[in-house]
Amino acid sequence: MSELLIKNAVVYDPINKVNGEKMDIAVKDGKIVDSIGNGADVIDAAGRLVYPGGVDAHTHIAGSKVNIGRIMRPDDSRLNNKPRTKITRPYTGYTVPNVYAMGYGYAEMGYTTAFEAAIPIMKARHTHEEFEEIPIIDKGGLTLFSSNWMVMDAIREDDLDRVAAYVAWGLEASRGWGVKIVNPGGGEAWGFGKNVAGLDDPVPNFEVTPRQIIRYLAEANEKLNLPHSIHLHCNNLGKPGNYTTTLETFDICKDIKPKRDRQAVHLTHIQFNAWGGNHWGDMESKGDVIAKYMNKNDHLTIDMGQLVFGSATTMTADGPVQYANAKLLKARWANGDVELEDASGVTPLSYHPESYIHGIMWAIGLELALLTEDPWKVLMTTDHPNGGPYVNYPDVVALLMSKKKREEAMAKIADLTFERTSIATIDRELDWYDIAIKTRAAHSKILGMVEYGKGHLGVGADADIAIYDLKPDETDATVEHEKVKAALRKAAYTIKGGEIVVKDGEITATPMGRTYWVKSTAPSDAHDRMMADLKLKFKNYYSVNFANYMVQDEYVHNPVIEECGYA
Amino acid sequence: MQTVTLVPKEQFKISIEAETITPDNFAGKSAQDIGAMIAYEGNTPRPLSELFDITVDGSADAADVKIEINGNVARVKRIGEAMSAGEIVINGDVDMRCGALMRGGSITITGYADSWVGREMRGGEITVKGNAGFYVGAGYRGEPCGMTGGKITVFGNVLDYVGEHLCGGEIIIKGNAGILPGISNKGGTIIIEGDTAMPGSEMTKGTIIVKGTVTEMMPVYQNEGTETVDGVEYTKYVGDVTVDGAGELFVK
Repeated sequence: MSELLIKNAVVYDPINKVNGEKMDIAVKDGKIVDSIGNGADVIDAAGRLVYPGGVDAHTHIAGSKVNIGRIMRPDDSRLNNKPRTKITRPYTGYTVPNVYAMGYGYAEMGYTTAFEAAIPIMKARHTHEEFEEIPIIDKGGLTLFSSNWMVMDAIREDDLDRVAAYVAWGLEASRGWGVKIVNPGGGEAWGFGKNVAGLDDPVPNFEVTPRQIIRYLAEANEKLNLPHSIHLHCNNLGKPGNYTTTLETFDICKDIKPKRDRQAVHLTHIQFNAWGGNHWGDMESKGDVIAKYMNKNDHLTIDMGQLVFGSATTMTADGPVQYANAKLLKARWANGDVELEDASGVTPLSYHPESYIHGIMWAIGLELALLTEDPWKVLMTTDHPNGGPYVNYPDVVALLMSKKKREEAMAKIADLTFERTSIATIDRELDWYDIAIKTRAAHSKILGMVEYGKGHLGVGADADIAIYDLKPDETDATVEHEKVKAALRKAAYTIKGGEIVVKDGEITATPMGRTYWVKSTAPSDAHDRMMADLKLKFKNYYSVNFANYMVQDEYVHNPVIEECGYA
Repeated sequence: MQTVTLVPKEQFKISIEAETITPDNFAGKSAQDIGAMIAYEGNTPRPLSELFDITVDGSADAADVKIEINGNVARVKRIGEAMSAGEIVINGDVDMRCGALMRGGSITITGYADSWVGREMRGGEITVKGNAGFYVGAGYRGEPCGMTGGKITVFGNVLDYVGEHLCGGEIIIKGNAGILPGISNKGGTIIIEGDTAMPGSEMTKGTIIVKGTVTEMMPVYQNEGTETVDGVEYTKYVGDVTVDGAGELFVK
């Protein structure tokens, strides 16, 4: 296979502690190597910014709820349309792009890996059918276990090994990478038109609490030695005053001992869960309180869920919250029922700077990232497309790097925002090394993808490389934020597995990426107990036959399988 | 003043997407320049010179451009899309979405205007001397707002859903309207001089005046007695109560 040499690169590779060093990168057979022969193709980076390919640990790019978003938003699919070329298929859509554009859009920004953050097991085929058609990027997905009858019944009977056995089975059935928990218990309560009010509010008919669900799944996660920690969307999302629930949730996993070198819990899009006040009228930011907790504790990581003004399509397994949103905003609403497993909802909405509520949300995301000292603890995400579409990542990076940019943005935001948040007082400006952490290195580490060669450029890593048309030595990112944004929006080169897939912001090749999933094993007696219960549930309750349920291998192209289990 | 005359060279069998035909695009251009502009016939791009005989008289800014279309353009869509100034006169029928997203200027259609005339229009004026199809001044699928400004007058009859999702502006129908005029309205005014049925369902704001007969009312309105508008006495209804609406519906 071909060889490639990238010369004069200014490299930021935090996992290998490379901080803006001018160096050459050698690529052979899709991997980074020490050195190569003279015959290699050469790219002269000429002092430009070089990052490992971007990794997104939390995004919604594939599956039934994304598709519901597409169906209910024909207005969205009229945006950003681009006709097909000899290489690319047509692009449509902004918040819910078509399947192909999902891959193109990430690749154009120098991203090469993205993880779908919510796969209901029952609907996993759909997710993989879309994965099959998303070009270029490597993919994986997190499987939902949070309102699942199998999980809750096993917890009620205090059978941790059975929980673990079901998690192992569910990951295989959905070909998933990790354990996703969304408003634990709330999805089941929503089946009765209700929600759970807090961590100790029992789930109807199961008499287990959200706290127990989190705790058992976190322990099962470690028993199975999974590469990623549990990935948790807290209870009470989107309600003023929810920060207390969030802080309590943080504490639940404090004494969980991760089996691997990573966090015990990842809490996602915390922006939506860091709200003070008692109602919409007195809502305020508690981003500073959350950040203070983050600075004192090392067992957890979070991601921003940054809000981007403009159109968004909110989609989540948190069914009750979506109904509340749709009612509040008189917006369109789609409800999804996932039988014994969970609920879901989709609601399009629009974020306006004139609204102080949206202003506060915007500010909280930035507060979380800027007030938490350790950049490894807070990932940059927009919870695409809930806080805003992922194509706005360069804008968010510019906000993190430049106080001037933030001030320009703040000038357009409702004044009340600044009485209720501390964003105006924050001077911190992140540098290129911090951004490399927040957009690739930490994502890879948190997901457990470092050993799979993601998020770094060490020897043996995948040759996923982004070169941006910007010279860090000559660019003052704190002032030239427009330049930063433009450079990150369209990579000069994106290299995926050693192949140039983007040049000057245009797609040049569309290889198909891999799909990562985890095959883990629990003790056979627990597995047998679990299977007996599962077969019974299929017989009695599921609308699908057991034999037709599991995602088959034919659905998963270029699979990479992590095998793990009880030690 | 610049006058551009377009005459179709053939009877189009496949519909033409001609959003390039606007005073803004034609301003100051020669017949040759205009002829080089592209319209799509189905999925095939074709220069306007292949589709139309083009004559240009004079040269001016968009505001002083008059485009006259003579002959059958009943299969030509999107004429005058997003135009901001100037005048278009279509002597005959026209296909869908004429004057969509229009911001200013005027369009006159002497014949029939197919569906979506003036969809999501923001300003300017459209006059249809014949009948018009469905969704006059409406919002396209999924859009929160249809027309937000400007004025559409139809001298003939219109089909269903006139002014769906209307957020502003004025629509006057001299003839009859099909069912559900002003459905999901959030503003603006619709005046129907003829008959219609089920007006203003899901209306939250705005005004609908029906001078003819309403053959069927939706049971979602509060009767607020009588009120006189422009010297004529109407029964005033407010609703749609099922969506906490404050829209006003005047029925004779």
